[in-house]
Amino acid sequence: MSNEFKLKEVLNKIFKIEISSINDETSVDTVDIWDSLKHLNLVIALEEAFNITFTEEESVEIMSYPLIKAILNEHGVII
Amino acid sequence: MSEDIKIQEAISQLGKDRSIANYSSFEALLDNLTSSSLEPIKISVVRNFTIEPLIPIIKGDFARCGFLTDIYLGGFDVTASEILNVNSGLYSHGTQLLLVANWLEGITEILTQKYLSTSNAKIDQEISRIVGEIVGLISFFRTNSNAPVVINNFPLIDSPTLGILNAQLESGHTASILKLNKELLNSLKKIPDVFIVDYFSIFSKIGINQGYDERYWHIARAPLKREMLLALGLEYSKYVRALKGNAKKCLVLDCDNTLWGGVIGEDGMDGIKLDTAYPGNGFISFQTEIINLYNRGVLVALCSKNNEEDVLEVLDKHPNMILRRSHIIAWQINWNDKATNLSLLAKKLNIGIDSFVFVDDNAIECEWIERKLPQVSVVHLKGDPSSFKRQITENGYFDTLNFTDEDKNRSKMYISSAMGEELKKSAGSYDEYLRNLKLCVEIGTPSDTTISRFSQLTQKTNQFNLTTIRYSAGEISRMIADPNIAFYYLKLSDKFTDLGIVGVAITKTEKGVCNIDTLALSCRALGRGVEDTFISFILGRAKVTGHKKVVGKYIVTKKNAQVANFYGKHGFKRVESNEKMSLWNFELEEKAIPPLPDWIDFSLITESK
Repeated sequence: MSNEFKLKEVLNKIFKIEISSINDETSVDTVDIWDSLKHLNLVIALEEAFNITFTEEESVEIMSYPLIKAILNEHGVII
Repeated sequence: MSEDIKIQEAISQLGKDRSIANYSSFEALLDNLTSSSLEPIKISVVRNFTIEPLIPIIKGDFARCGFLTDIYLGGFDVTASEILNVNSGLYSHGTQLLLVANWLEGITEILTQKYLSTSNAKIDQEISRIVGEIVGLISFFRTNSNAPVVINNFPLIDSPTLGILNAQLESGHTASILKLNKELLNSLKKIPDVFIVDYFSIFSKIGINQGYDERYWHIARAPLKREMLLALGLEYSKYVRALKGNAKKCLVLDCDNTLWGGVIGEDGMDGIKLDTAYPGNGFISFQTEIINLYNRGVLVALCSKNNEEDVLEVLDKHPNMILRRSHIIAWQINWNDKATNLSLLAKKLNIGIDSFVFVDDNAIECEWIERKLPQVSVVHLKGDPSSFKRQITENGYFDTLNFTDEDKNRSKMYISSAMGEELKKSAGSYDEYLRNLKLCVEIGTPSDTTISRFSQLTQKTNQFNLTTIRYSAGEISRMIADPNIAFYYLKLSDKFTDLGIVGVAITKTEKGVCNIDTLALSCRALGRGVEDTFISFILGRAKVTGHKKVVGKYIVTKKNAQVANFYGKHGFKRVESNEKMSLWNFELEEKAIPPLPDWIDFSLITESK
């Protein structure tokens, strides 16, 4: 499974959005149910899926698809 | 129906991959469900920390135990006002189970940040204050609701420490938390139906670094890491299973590569791996756990594809076997398919097939059972034998919240009833057989020591249960004071064993009519005239206490079809009936009460309440 698909699958399961509709516009502003509590689920699910640990700052920063990709990149997860 | 299959598949998927993302999507599936065979349960959660990430896990793990959870989540850190305000959402939700989740840092500074600067006397005072406040809230809740309460104790986290000196002090932080937990338990156990969920031990098992999220504690007051969320979901689900009487009763084991290494039919007695050294010792430790379960009252059965005599020889003669033939209640050892064999075992033991846990190392057998008998819980043993022990205990399938003398003896009692079957074959007539059994029935009113068994029977009995109303021990203690309600237990013994309390009945008098609220008998007691004794007794009792009429109610469940016509068979007249229930009358002035079976030695213990 590619990292890109894995990431999209997490977003799909947490936010109930279609995998095909996930793009660089996908963010806390465009996804209705992306609130602070769902965000918490997102952080835990991403850490689980990619076996990484975000720093405090990173975990509050990852508010959009491009930002998630960028920070995963810093953890060596290439998308 | 197709929705049910979808849910069953999703549940089985979730069991195989408990990922946070999967729980999240499973929650969405549950929330959109229009109908389901899962049993609905209304739960409230009050908490002083951000417990939201745990909610999808609770819903998922409760569904894995057969429940569709409707959760009311109290506001952040408003536990007291939720409980003390009887108009709060907690009460209007119709709560059937209350989870109280407390995080120590939200309750006290003295036992956390300020610990090192506080005197010992003040610390003790603070412990009393915390316990007092919690107990006060729970007592208040108890006077306003019968719902069981599950409340956590406190883990050792972020100890304000003196470093290595901490362990040298009687009054160190560790000692204080232990004291707090102990006092909390001592005080809470005085309130009926309050149970501790042991955060202390769970955090010890997972490890604080794995379980406690210091980042999210500071960002969002959310202290639980992924590992801890998964452990707690599972842990809370054990309580709901036990409280709702869904604990499993029978462990059905495969043999080759499950009880021992290798294949007995090929490797022979000397070739199978089963000894005190590696790798055979993993199987020995697995067997030790099976014996633990046996001692807890779990029935142990075998279902394997072998030659029967090969397996029996290992059970009887292998020097390193811990599990012996005397522990095994029944077996199906043959080459037939295992689903058929499980159904036969259920019939033989007279218990529901949904109370089975099937254990096998073979993926194909496991999948087959999952597909053919989705009610059976399946444990597919994977990896090293040393982990088998953990694999059968981690789900808490057999966990209960009380442990009675009857539990300790259950396996023995079943084995004697299996011997009873043998006797039935050899004895001439059925009548002769019954007389031969020397059955003794004792009926009486439950006392303090038997209330917990009494309540357990209302909770665990599914098949011979006319109304299937579940009562907690606390409810019974309260109801027993009511002069219009009568409680009867039924004790049974035969020439083989004392089966203890196997039946319960509750009758309520209203306007001179005796209504049978509850009538339940353990399946082990059936088919020997015990049920006839019980109903004749209830009718006779109603007559001597001045009633003119007895009304029996049958409420249909998935499991109690065998008693649909129970009242009809005992002279009651049906006065009302639909697909959910039926009502039956017995006019005491018009009809003679059916006599007690003459092969039963009957005694009545009359005590004032």
